[in-house]
Amino acid sequence: MSREEILTKVSTVFSNVLEHNNFELTNATTAEDVDGWESITHMMIITEIEKTFDIKFKLMDLMNMNSVGDLLNTIETELSIN
Amino acid sequence: MRFIKDIQNSIRSNNSHNSLCINNIFYTYKDFENEIRKIRFAIVNTIESSERLIGLVTNDDIQTYASIIALWLEGKAYVPVNPETPLDRNYHIFELTKTKHVIDSSKESVYDDYEVINSGVLQDLHPSLSPKNFSGEHLAYILFTSGTTGVPKGVPITFNNVQALVDAINEEPEFNLNNTDRCLQMFELTFDFSVVTYLFPLLAGACMYTIPKGTIKYFYIFKLIKEKALTVLTMVPSIINYLRPYFPEINEESVRYCSFGGGALHSDIAKEWSECLPNCKIFNYYGPTEFTVYSGFYPYHKDTHTKTYNGIIAIGKPQKDTLYLVVNENNEEVPIGETGELCLGGPQITPGYWKNEEKNKQSFFIRNENGKDIRYYKTGDLCIKDNDSDFLYVGRADFQVKIRGYRVELSEIEFHAKSKSKKKVNMVALDINNKLGNAELGLAIESEPFDTSYIFEHMKTKMPNYMIPMHVRFIKDFPHSINGKIDRKELKKHFDIK
Repeated sequence: MSREEILTKVSTVFSNVLEHNNFELTNATTAEDVDGWESITHMMIITEIEKTFDIKFKLMDLMNMNSVGDLLNTIETELSIN
Repeated sequence: MRFIKDIQNSIRSNNSHNSLCINNIFYTYKDFENEIRKIRFAIVNTIESSERLIGLVTNDDIQTYASIIALWLEGKAYVPVNPETPLDRNYHIFELTKTKHVIDSSKESVYDDYEVINSGVLQDLHPSLSPKNFSGEHLAYILFTSGTTGVPKGVPITFNNVQALVDAINEEPEFNLNNTDRCLQMFELTFDFSVVTYLFPLLAGACMYTIPKGTIKYFYIFKLIKEKALTVLTMVPSIINYLRPYFPEINEESVRYCSFGGGALHSDIAKEWSECLPNCKIFNYYGPTEFTVYSGFYPYHKDTHTKTYNGIIAIGKPQKDTLYLVVNENNEEVPIGETGELCLGGPQITPGYWKNEEKNKQSFFIRNENGKDIRYYKTGDLCIKDNDSDFLYVGRADFQVKIRGYRVELSEIEFHAKSKSKKKVNMVALDINNKLGNAELGLAIESEPFDTSYIFEHMKTKMPNYMIPMHVRFIKDFPHSINGKIDRKELKKHFDIK
């Protein structure tokens, strides 16, 4: 799966969970940039992404995830392991 | 005030130790002392000594913590307001307390109508850290909680109240902080639980680690535990509910104490969590804001101390000088083994809700015991005292509902539903009013939809028919209040029943 395809799917998860799409996700995007992206919705987003890609994140990766770029990197790594 | 003198001594003798870690920046006790003295200088020079209730904007920075101590040295109370709360509500709080002065470390303060001390730009130092002499009846803080009528309810706590809390914790041999401890401070300062997470580390010369705004709380807490090797955790149970999928990856040997409070702690998750912290003592604390944070605890241990009621860990015994009393509707003590409302008496009891005589009449009563008048606070929590004089938590009194005339304890339904479920998810039983105004039972499940028929079959073998929920809703994530408690009112909105 290309990084762009991953990003498209991730954007869909974001708009489903946050119930809006007033955002553009880039590598540099962080929770501060997106309305409603905070602690609890983040947990929902993570669960949804795990389902969408059929992967399971590691806590060590989640704890260092600070931006959409980090998120995409981790998804790529997980997909390559599977 | 002895405990303020003790804070002063702790600051002095730990000058080179770290006091705070905020967003990966460390501040020593020397740094902390300097901030306190600057703010004290400003307080002494701008606030009349008769003004004692001072607003405090709760930013996540050293100045905000230093402001609390500076106010206490002067015998004044802090009235905290969260900068993320709607301004209207914060203004309303200051109106209720007739506050004129606000300490705010924000670059630009929005409290134009008040005398603002901008604690971020002060220069001059007060010469001393010695506390003034003042009466222990002075207030140390007022916290506002949501009232049922929509008007925030103020809970004033005096310096004597706080002193009694400190004395009670010092009396407890099982819990001793020292100046090498690294302590989690995850609470917003408008939440009463924060008082123990900043006060005890400061008294011990330990370092506290805060959660910066804008971070993902649950993962940041884990990151702190792991990278900073935290030794003392104080948290609400909802934190570990979110971390639960990752428990197999957690094994943190540095943690020696983990205290829970602010909600029911369930034994299944507590057992799993205690396996993540192999060297840790777990305390299940109980206590309402009205009784200065903690009133007692149960020392949970996965093998030796596992007392529960409906899957909820016991709240144990009252701490030093605190009295527990379980009463019926007429405020009369009920026999051992019977459910009643838990009432608390002793020196940590609030003087009463802020300017709310009506509520005070409902929530406090005087009982004569051995010729002495004891004032009790009615907690609204249902408890049972057992034969070992341990107290078992049953549920909120207002979660005891009447269904077709029968008294139903919602936590009991939750217990039976969860005990059989193969999926380990949160379930909350709710009473929902139908069109006729009768209460029907609903079960909210925090999950994607799944087949619940076997759960219902099980419940029917354990409970009478009227206790079996008639409505089920799957909700992906439960709504929580700012303090991390499940928002039942909001959950009820998912049940649209005819």
